[in-house]
Parts: sequence; structure tokens; C-alpha cells
Amino acid sequence: MIHTYVWVIWLAAAIVSLSSTRNPLYLVLILLCLAIVNNSLASRIPQGNNPNASAKFPISPLRIAIMLVGLSALFNAAISHYGDTILFRVPDWIPLLGGAITLEALIYGAINGLVLFGIFWTFMILNQALPARKLLRLIPRAFYPVAVVTSIAISFVPATVRHYHQIREAQAIRGHRLRGVRDWIPLIMPLLVGGLERALSLAEAMTARGFASGGQAENGFRERVLLLLGILMMFVGWIFRLLENWYLPGSVLIILGAILIFAMLWTVGRKIPRSTYVREHWKLRDAVILMGAILILVFILVPLPFLNKLTLSFEIYPSLNIPGFDPLIGVVIVALLLPTLFLRRELPNN
Amino acid sequence: MKTESRLQFWLRPSIYAAATVLGLLSLVYPFLLPAVTDGSSAGQARAAEMPLLMTVMLGLCLLVLIYEVQGQSMNTKLVALLGVLVAINAAVRFIEVGIPGPGGFSPIFFLIILTGYLFGGRFGFLMGALTIFVSSLITGGIGPWLPSQMLAAGWVGMSAALLPPLVSRVRSIKAHPSPRWEQGVEIGILVVFGFLWGILYGVIMNLWSWPYFSGPADQFWTQGIGVYETLQRYFSYYLLTSLIWDLGRGIGSALLLVAFGLPALRALRRFQRRFSFTQQPSYEESDLLKKDRAAEDASLPLRGSA
Repeated sequence: MIHTYVWVIWLAAAIVSLSSTRNPLYLVLILLCLAIVNNSLASRIPQGNNPNASAKFPISPLRIAIMLVGLSALFNAAISHYGDTILFRVPDWIPLLGGAITLEALIYGAINGLVLFGIFWTFMILNQALPARKLLRLIPRAFYPVAVVTSIAISFVPATVRHYHQIREAQAIRGHRLRGVRDWIPLIMPLLVGGLERALSLAEAMTARGFASGGQAENGFRERVLLLLGILMMFVGWIFRLLENWYLPGSVLIILGAILIFAMLWTVGRKIPRSTYVREHWKLRDAVILMGAILILVFILVPLPFLNKLTLSFEIYPSLNIPGFDPLIGVVIVALLLPTLFLRRELPNN
Repeated sequence: MKTESRLQFWLRPSIYAAATVLGLLSLVYPFLLPAVTDGSSAGQARAAEMPLLMTVMLGLCLLVLIYEVQGQSMNTKLVALLGVLVAINAAVRFIEVGIPGPGGFSPIFFLIILTGYLFGGRFGFLMGALTIFVSSLITGGIGPWLPSQMLAAGWVGMSAALLPPLVSRVRSIKAHPSPRWEQGVEIGILVVFGFLWGILYGVIMNLWSWPYFSGPADQFWTQGIGVYETLQRYFSYYLLTSLIWDLGRGIGSALLLVAFGLPALRALRRFQRRFSFTQQPSYEESDLLKKDRAAEDASLPLRGSA
């Protein structure tokens, strides 16, 4: 298994590269890489039923892609009337929609849809790659009560769904039929009351076992003051950023405020013990994927003189043109494929 | 000592207020930015960093709010109740993702509003935020939109705690209110609240997604335009993309509250009383234990005897 943090950094690299470009050539390249990683993940288990995956998607990625790209293209074409290549005209008396429908606006909308789909797909891949327990472990230690609630909730979701089916069957045996909204009451109320009964039993069991029986201690005074200070620094930084000449000090204040908040949460988290039963180890493959992701982040975010960064921002208006392509950026983007080299085929009983 | 306790008193509302205001300001950043800059320098850079900055700031506000809320009274009862209610709501959202309702209809706000109304703002906030988080873990909905969704849903639950005084005030209009009138007032206010939040939730989520579409189109946010024009563009964007969708959500929440509000409130109130048990650790020996100890002492030889 690839290390959890490596997946998170890989995700960051994919998201940054997706959001920093509107060039369809780079976008298609990124989406191709995502498709290959997605297929490798799906083929790890021959039946395609990965018990480790945290997510069960009710809609296929292709349908989401068609929906996002199609809607975005139509929407942009309908409301944006820029561009030289006029396809047809909507009468001007129609508010908001009236005007020329242009090919440029249609394509620009489709590109926006591709970016959105790419972001969505990247997170889908992460959800597929990491089981829910690993995603839960990403919750910082300072938030352990929330992590406990989340674990309880995740454990209880299947029981809730089962309970719902049991109630439905029981009501069906009694001749209950769903005709109107009110007919849902005999299904909803037992589900709610049953859940509350389970919560009561769970609370009693937890109290009996001594879990936080005396109530959790209030957050420390100093930590909370620092937290407030961090938020206020970000607030002032935000105001500064609105002013033309205070942009840099504002940015610095926001960063300092964020660092203060993270440092405080990290310090609080260190005081909370965490039991780890299966420790993840860093391996060579993790280092390779990590290096690839960092390389992408550096190439996209850092202004390097030997790169033609202008090719990232593709300007389609006023008339359609062929986008530029820097092969070096293309090669670096292909580093998103690195996880596929290390995704081994797994058997269901593994 | 007195100063510190006074500071302690003001610290909590200050953190809530600061994080909430900063979250809101992050969302309306595109409206204010063009008003004070001419858009000539570094405009493109700011436009590009806008969505990222917004996501980061909203995420930090959310972290601060959750940290402050969780640190006050996370005992076993709260943890268990919250966990199970979040599970019910997440299961409902899972069904909603699989079988989408009409428009933006989402049944999750029903329980978020009721729990915030009955159990208070802190519970409501956690209920809203964690419902979105847990359901996202299950349905694969984790993405850059998650912090703003969690924050907005948390605000729904948190603001529901403001309703009980309003309900009491409206109820007191009548000198001798009947139980039917009292129930009607309560449900009526909850229904209006649910409808308004159905719309407002969409407005907030649109504020988050709007800068992602930044481009040369005249409906999107672009650097350098005035506040009035920005509002106009946002209005047309909202009208075209979301109004019908959000109306579906608002009407759906209102209908759910009309249909199931009263029985659900009754059940939740009953359990609220049952959940008020307190655990008192007792160090007194029970009679049975005393007998056991006496028998044990009798069977043991006296210390020092042969």
C-alpha cells in the first residue's frame, strides 16, 4: 500500500496542476494520467469490489464528466456572448440569455467543466485508494472528540440502513403503503427513535467503561487566546489585502495567522496520546511518488526561467486559436502516473 | 483572577464571532476587492489565487470553530447522541446521492435544524458539519468544496439555536395560548427558518464556487469591476444556475418540517430528558462487598500468629 501522506501530496499536485491551467492540451494530459491511475486502482481487485475503498460511487465518472462538461459548456454559451465565431443568435428581448451564441464561449465553458471534473475525479481516486479508517487518521489529534464521533457515525451508518430496511419490511407485512408524504411517518419515526435508543445504550456503555465519564476538560486558556490571535491576524491581513499598497503585508499576516493556528493545534495534539496498531512505513516507492509530486508542484508554482508558463493560461477569446504547449511541463505532468507503477494487483482475500 | 475569569467569559463568543465573521468575509471577498483596487496591477494573479485563498481561509475558520465547540462539553452522552444522529443523517444523504430528489432537495437539514433548535448551537454546529463530513467519507464527496459545505451546514445548526427565544416571544402574543397554537407557532417558525436556509445554503455555496468560474464571461467574477457590477453578475449567475435548485431545497426542507416536525420534536424532547442522566462515582462499599470482605477477614489468619 502506498503511504497515506504520499497520496495526499499526490492529490495536492494533481489539484494544483488542474487549477492552474485552462490549456486543453495540458488538461487532457492530466485527465489521461488520472484515468490510468484510476484504472490501475480499479484493477487491483479483479471483481472491482474493493473492500478497502472508503467510497461507493452511485454515479459513474463518465456520467459525471458528461454532465459537468456539457452543463458548463451550455451554461457559458448561453450567458457569455463574447467571441467572433457566432453559431446563432438568441433574441435580445430574452433577459440574460439574449445575444450571440459563440463557439469560443461554448469551448471555454467545456474547458471549465473539464477542470471541475478533474478536481472531482482526483478526489474520487483518493477515496478509492484510501480506506475510510486511513482518511479518519488524517484528522489532527487535537480534534480527537470529533474523530470519535466520526468513527461512531461511520460504524453506525450500515446499522442505520439495515434498521431502515427492517422497519420497511415490518411495515409492509402490516400492509403499509407509501402513498403520500405522511405515509413516511411510520418509517421515519421508528428509525429516529431506534437510533436514539441505540445512542442511549452506547452512552451508558461508554460511561460504564469510564470513557470521559467526568466530562472533557475545557480547552486551555492560553491556547484559545492564541487561536483568537491567529484568527484576528488573518482578519487584519484580509483587510490589508483589499488595499493596493498593503497586499504583501496582508498576505504575510494571513500566513502568520495560519501558522499560529496550525502550531497551536499541533501543540495541543501532541498532548493527546494516540494508539497505532498498524504503523505505516515509508518505502522507496513512497519516496519516488513523493518526489514526482513535489516536482510537479515546483514546476507549476515556482517561476522558473526555462519554462514557458504562458502556455498554462490559454486565452480563447476573441477568436479560437491553437493552444501552446511546453514539452517540459508536459513531461513533468506525466509524473502523476507514478502511483500506477507501484499499484500491485491484490486478491480479494488480501 | 477576576480579570482572567472575565476574559474566559468573553473568549468563547469572541472566537465564535471572529471565526464566523472571517468565514463570511472570505466568501464575499470578490464583492469587496474591486471596490478598493483599480484592477490594473497583479489583478490576474489575485484572480487565480482567489479560490485557493477562499478554501484555505474557510477551512481554517472551520477548524477553529470545531476546536472551540468540541472543547466545551464532549461527554459520553453527547458523543454517542451526536455519533448516532450523524449516522442517521449521513445514511439519509447517501440515499439522496443515489436517488436524487427534485431540484436541490436535501433531507439532511431537517435533523440539523431540529437538533440545533433543541440541543443548542454547539450541538447543531457539530451536527451540521459532521453530517457533511461523514457522508462525504461514505459517498466520496471529499473535495475543495467540503470546508464551505461543512461551515454552511454548521451555521444552519448553530443559528437554529436562536429560534427558542423567538418562539417564546411569538407564543406570548396570546394571553391564553392553546397547545395547538403553541405547536403551530413552533412549527411555523421552524418551517420558515428551514425554507430560508434552503435558499441561503445555496447562496453561500455559490459564493464559494463563483470565483472558480472566473473568466472573461460577463456573468462571472473578474478583477477590476465595481461592486454594483459584481453584484449584478452574481445575481444573474445565481438566477440562472441555482435559484430553482435552491427553491427545491427550501421547499423540501419546509415540507419535511411540516410533515415530520412535530413527531420528531416530541421524540427528541423525550430523549433529551432521558439523556439527562448523570454518573456519580461512588466509593462507598456495597453491603455485598462488606459481607465478602468480612468473610475474607474471618478466613485469614491474624497477622503475627503462628
